[in-house]
Amino acid sequence: MEPSPAPRLPTLLEHVAGFSRALHDAGLAVNTGNLIDLCQCFQFIDIARRDDFYAAARATLVSRHEDIARFDAAFAQYWESPRQLVIKRQQDDPDDEDAAADSGRGARLMLPGDEDGGDGGERKSLALSWSPEEALAQRDLGELTEADVERAQRLIREIVAALANKRGRRHAARRHGRIPDLRRLLRDRSLYLADGICPLPWRSRRISRTRLVLLCDVSGSMQRYSRFLIEFMYALRRELSDLEVAVFSTHLTVITDLLRRRGVAASLREVADRIHDWAGGTNIGGSLREFNERYAPHMLNGRTTVIFLSDGWDRGNAAEMRREMGKLRQRARKVLWLNPLLGTPGYQPLTQGMQCALPYLDHFLPAHNLQSLAQLRACCAPSATEPMRQ
Amino acid sequence: MTGGREEAPAFGSIGEIEQRFAAQGYIADRMLATTLFLSVSLGKPLFLEGEPGVGKTEIAKVMARALDTELIRLQCYEGLDSNAALYEWNYTRQLLELRLQEARGVDRAEIGDNLFSEAFLLQRPLLKALRSEGRRPPVLLIDEVDRSDEEFEAFLLEVLSDFQITIPEIGTLRAHHTPFVVLTSNRTREVHDALKRRCLYHWIDYPTFAREVTILRARLPQVELRLAGQVCRFMELLREHDFYKRPGIAETIDWARALMALGVAELNAAAVDETLGCILKYRGDNEKLYQMGLTGLVEKALMPGHDPSATGQPAA
Repeated sequence: MEPSPAPRLPTLLEHVAGFSRALHDAGLAVNTGNLIDLCQCFQFIDIARRDDFYAAARATLVSRHEDIARFDAAFAQYWESPRQLVIKRQQDDPDDEDAAADSGRGARLMLPGDEDGGDGGERKSLALSWSPEEALAQRDLGELTEADVERAQRLIREIVAALANKRGRRHAARRHGRIPDLRRLLRDRSLYLADGICPLPWRSRRISRTRLVLLCDVSGSMQRYSRFLIEFMYALRRELSDLEVAVFSTHLTVITDLLRRRGVAASLREVADRIHDWAGGTNIGGSLREFNERYAPHMLNGRTTVIFLSDGWDRGNAAEMRREMGKLRQRARKVLWLNPLLGTPGYQPLTQGMQCALPYLDHFLPAHNLQSLAQLRACCAPSATEPMRQ
Repeated sequence: MTGGREEAPAFGSIGEIEQRFAAQGYIADRMLATTLFLSVSLGKPLFLEGEPGVGKTEIAKVMARALDTELIRLQCYEGLDSNAALYEWNYTRQLLELRLQEARGVDRAEIGDNLFSEAFLLQRPLLKALRSEGRRPPVLLIDEVDRSDEEFEAFLLEVLSDFQITIPEIGTLRAHHTPFVVLTSNRTREVHDALKRRCLYHWIDYPTFAREVTILRARLPQVELRLAGQVCRFMELLREHDFYKRPGIAETIDWARALMALGVAELNAAAVDETLGCILKYRGDNEKLYQMGLTGLVEKALMPGHDPSATGQPAA
């Protein structure tokens, strides 16, 4: 409906850039290519119509259902009162902002109700008051008997073998396979030249390798099992090349690189150093959210099995935990939960955390000693693909 | 590359899409119509997400009818590979051809030379969509892409960005015209961002009460407005609860049809009980509904304030 769009155009582009910035501030990553798509849309729609403009912006800039609410908020806020379009990116507070964002990451803690990614300062102060038990406890975890380690090692080798031995549906050429490879046969001219007698090429299903992500609870209530936990991490580490390990209590730390580096004793000290809240309180939902936001996009794929090691004692927000479990479940191939308490006679998974998690689990297993690992092995066997979800 | 713009634009305006869809019995809201319009205009695939039963697949079907063109459907499943999605060589015919050439006494040096030509190619949906010879570009529906695996996604990404396919034995085949591509996902897993970025994204929600009534009446013109209102209100109430599988629009239509077949003029607990199989398809969900109190829910659905026949036509 604009009679002369020519003079408007530069301002419009600036607005689009400003809006993209607003989305970025709201935590929505906007891809430049998609911004260009949006600009291309303008030639087809009447940009004076708010609903059409909204539809075009949402279709091009959003690609996830979870982002729609945040997008809507940013949209309403920006287009109701577009900020003064001085592109004030670099001039205002580049250092402050970045530094705040970074340190906010390190000590990030999601609290119940803290969903809209409010400002970092408040979050930080809350983090200090959140968990009274969070103590800088240095634990010496290096006293393992050789026999224990060996036993665990043997079981874990079997588990890893079971995990890695899933046959995919894709085929690969093989010297000896199950299915004759007709395409290769026909392409190879020796068939036509040798009176129909020639070696038959084969193909077979490729083995698809599994990636394992281990999420270990190191909060106070899990303290008793920490030896087993560390043992488990290291044994897996030794056997599986594609493994990521993270530990959590009130927030989450990825320690894959630490496990990779040096000898057990030295690393354990460093692990305990790095995780300040070792043996503190628990916020599973918040930790999981941190994992989903920061690590899940590159750690999880359709081949990933996620293993939780936790007793499920949770002092975080139940709704958040359910939501985050749902997200995790969508991204991973399998989610297993190893609970040390499950081995205790008469134990019922009634804790809030366990209740939230159960609907999203493929397997819920005990993990109080090495024997329970045998059960894990059974679950990882190729035949055990039936999910236990009702 | 000419992109998606053909000689004559497929749709002149957003309003035209709404009309043409309505003529096919599909009530599209403005948001969806705009997204469809842009998707056609920009020549970009449309990525549809939403709960099962909200009419994602139907959009592609209606689109094909509205554009009066061919619908090519690729149903995804785990383990779907390029042989089933793209092309496969027709080995039987190739072997037969060899025998025939032998029988004809073709020279040894030339025998089998033509085996890998388009004549021996079995076209699977993706290749078929690219090579479609129709007057208008076909509609390519890639259904439930979340059920395929990641390797297939990467492969799709390649096909959808260039609309060309390379077959080692032949070379590169280009699309005659860019098909209109619709991808759907039920979100059983997250589809990779790179694929989504290539597409326009649209989330289909359960319809509002008024829109569901309109849809129901468009699909089942015989249904009384009063009953339609009660059915849709009941569905609206049901969807407020957390079922394993919440009923979609498809269920609403099925259910209304069942109620009419039974001659039910007004919703009542007994009728709901008899026809519950149309709405809830899991035993656990049925039990949950009984626990919640079926009668109470029916009464709530019959409460005044939601009868579209009392206040005239519902707002579309």
